[in-house]
Amino acid sequence: MTSTLDTPNRTERRWKTRDLWLSLAGLVSLALAVGAAASVVLPVSSDLGLAAVLPYPYWVGVLLLNATFFVALRGDATGPASRPVMMWLLAVQVIVLFGVAALVTDVPRGEVAFRHLGIADALSDMQRVDPNIDAYFNWPGFFALLATVLEATGLDPVTVALWAPVFNVGLWLAAVAVITGYLTRDPRRRWLVLWLFCLGNWQDQDYLSPQAFGVFLYFVVVAMLVGPLAARSDKFPGLRRAALAAWWRGRSPAEPRPGHRVGALAVVLLLIPVITASHQLTPFMLLIVITTLTLSGRVWPSRLPLIAGVVLVLWLVYPASTYLAGHPPIEDAGLQIAAEANVVERVSGTAGHLLVVQLRVVLTVVLWVLAAVGAVLAWRRGRLDMRVVLLAVSPLLLFPAQAYGGEMLIRVSLFALPFIALLACSVLLPGDGSTQPSPRAAGGLALTCFLLAVLTVTGRFGNAQYDVFTDSEMDAVATVERLAPPGSTILSAAHPTPWRSDSYLEHRYRTMDDLCQEDFTTATCGPIVYNYAAQNPNGAHLLFMRSTEASVVLQGDSSTQGFAEFEEWLSMQNGVELVFSNTDARIYRVTP
Amino acid sequence: MRSVSRPTAAVGLAAVALALVTLLGLPTPLQAVAVTVVLVLLPGHALARLTQVTDLPLAALLVPALGLAALTAVSTTMFYLAVWSWQACVLTMSLITVLACVARVRQEAKWQLS
Repeated sequence: MTSTLDTPNRTERRWKTRDLWLSLAGLVSLALAVGAAASVVLPVSSDLGLAAVLPYPYWVGVLLLNATFFVALRGDATGPASRPVMMWLLAVQVIVLFGVAALVTDVPRGEVAFRHLGIADALSDMQRVDPNIDAYFNWPGFFALLATVLEATGLDPVTVALWAPVFNVGLWLAAVAVITGYLTRDPRRRWLVLWLFCLGNWQDQDYLSPQAFGVFLYFVVVAMLVGPLAARSDKFPGLRRAALAAWWRGRSPAEPRPGHRVGALAVVLLLIPVITASHQLTPFMLLIVITTLTLSGRVWPSRLPLIAGVVLVLWLVYPASTYLAGHPPIEDAGLQIAAEANVVERVSGTAGHLLVVQLRVVLTVVLWVLAAVGAVLAWRRGRLDMRVVLLAVSPLLLFPAQAYGGEMLIRVSLFALPFIALLACSVLLPGDGSTQPSPRAAGGLALTCFLLAVLTVTGRFGNAQYDVFTDSEMDAVATVERLAPPGSTILSAAHPTPWRSDSYLEHRYRTMDDLCQEDFTTATCGPIVYNYAAQNPNGAHLLFMRSTEASVVLQGDSSTQGFAEFEEWLSMQNGVELVFSNTDARIYRVTP
Repeated sequence: MRSVSRPTAAVGLAAVALALVTLLGLPTPLQAVAVTVVLVLLPGHALARLTQVTDLPLAALLVPALGLAALTAVSTTMFYLAVWSWQACVLTMSLITVLACVARVRQEAKWQLS
């Protein structure tokens, strides 16, 4: 009798001990990664980016974390380790993969987050929306939110931008967790989807941006569509009209309580206009997904596509009309234009940079191939949920619609990622929910995921040579914005330049590579830049930084020597004088 | 007389109290926490409760989603109307929270009757 009573207690103790060890292993992984990242010396000098300069303890930490996760995922016959342990390991993964740059430097990566801070700052100053300024002021939702939060909290904007990737990925994961909760009952698959979502997330769209906010709200809408607003329907009867009508009428709501469905619908009706007001692309993705799921008979409120479409058209016709008048959206449409902008133009540069681009492609292709095989396996077993396939494939419809500055494939792969990960789970965890993976399978998965982590870190931080800024570069940017009188021009050699964060409207900002359309030869670009700078009656300042030079060289637009010649030629022109220099930057004043 | 459930009353009262405190101003880290609660979490929680969602993970997700979405809608509208200030946003969001609590009280009363 005593032994019978003692058995659960002993089991419970063993559980607790195992959970403790797993948590401790997660902590050790975190400590290794944080310590290693903090020891990186800037600037990053490798063409391969951050991955090449992270000390080996970082990778040991990543390997240990993946091994720990799969021990926890394997768990025992009853399922994976306890929820707090799995959540803790996931949190460590987020910090290790998405917070690593914030551990290396206290300056946010890239140019765009600084620009977004500047837009929020400009909105706060103006206290109104002027759509004539630029495209951002035609979709101001996210910036209005950011301006309010920054002003009300008093938080340092740069710190907010620095940690935004960790915060945004945390929000995305919460939404993806809810979505997968509706799409699979297997707890191991649910956790593995979240893990793969992190490992496949090289797209680097989680910085302080409207798209990161839009993706979060998009995932929330998808959660509502596959959750309380889902519909059950019979097998698709083919295209005969009568059968189709009967099939459509035969749908039934998955959520039987009308009050709950109304509540869920109200949430979606709030989120649709907020997404539409915040970002250019996400509402189109939302419209595609709502329409696809509704037409497949898997969403109960059949008028949602109409509502999403009307809101989108109304936004384009009224608040965004100023921008659209000069930028017709179909101008950059077509498969050929999209392919050139998204693929051809991106595959250029130094050997190291090309390798990074190729690794990004490899990572994406590996996940899509796994997903395709997983879909076939699930279909053969009769367990394929068509909603997952539709959610994974429908973002592809965006690809030919717009070149989107060469970023459309990146966005497509991000929108599809949770569902690609879920389909890939059919290959990686082939059994049903009750099947515990063998130790060998768990070891293989840990190794596979470690390799995916290496690819993700390499792809994600592959531009660190030019998108991780030094303190000297930040000093130079602050100096040029201080020296330049209002209305004058500031010309930086190239993107990315960490400027415009607190004087967005004060100066005219241009980059020389934009002016010269990436032809940096001194004979062509020199006169264009000089004439443009000298034209402004308020004067101009030219900014040359280590990072902008690295950007131009790495992407194959110029060589180190060519860039130096170009700068020297400009410095010798009439009215051009050096007014500031430090280890990583030079500023020239151009007198008109 | 309608009885108000403790969670509903707590959310409503907290929204009013925190709005006043944040408008008066707190030291930076406390101000950040209080503002996050009054601008995002309380309205998000109050609105999520109105939806009657019973699934706990979805209800937890709706708190930040609805809070951020509502704040975006409020602040964007204020910018378009040229009446924006962060103080006005704090007041409006706390008003939304209180109104959502009132609606919740009516919901609860209806359930008690049925």
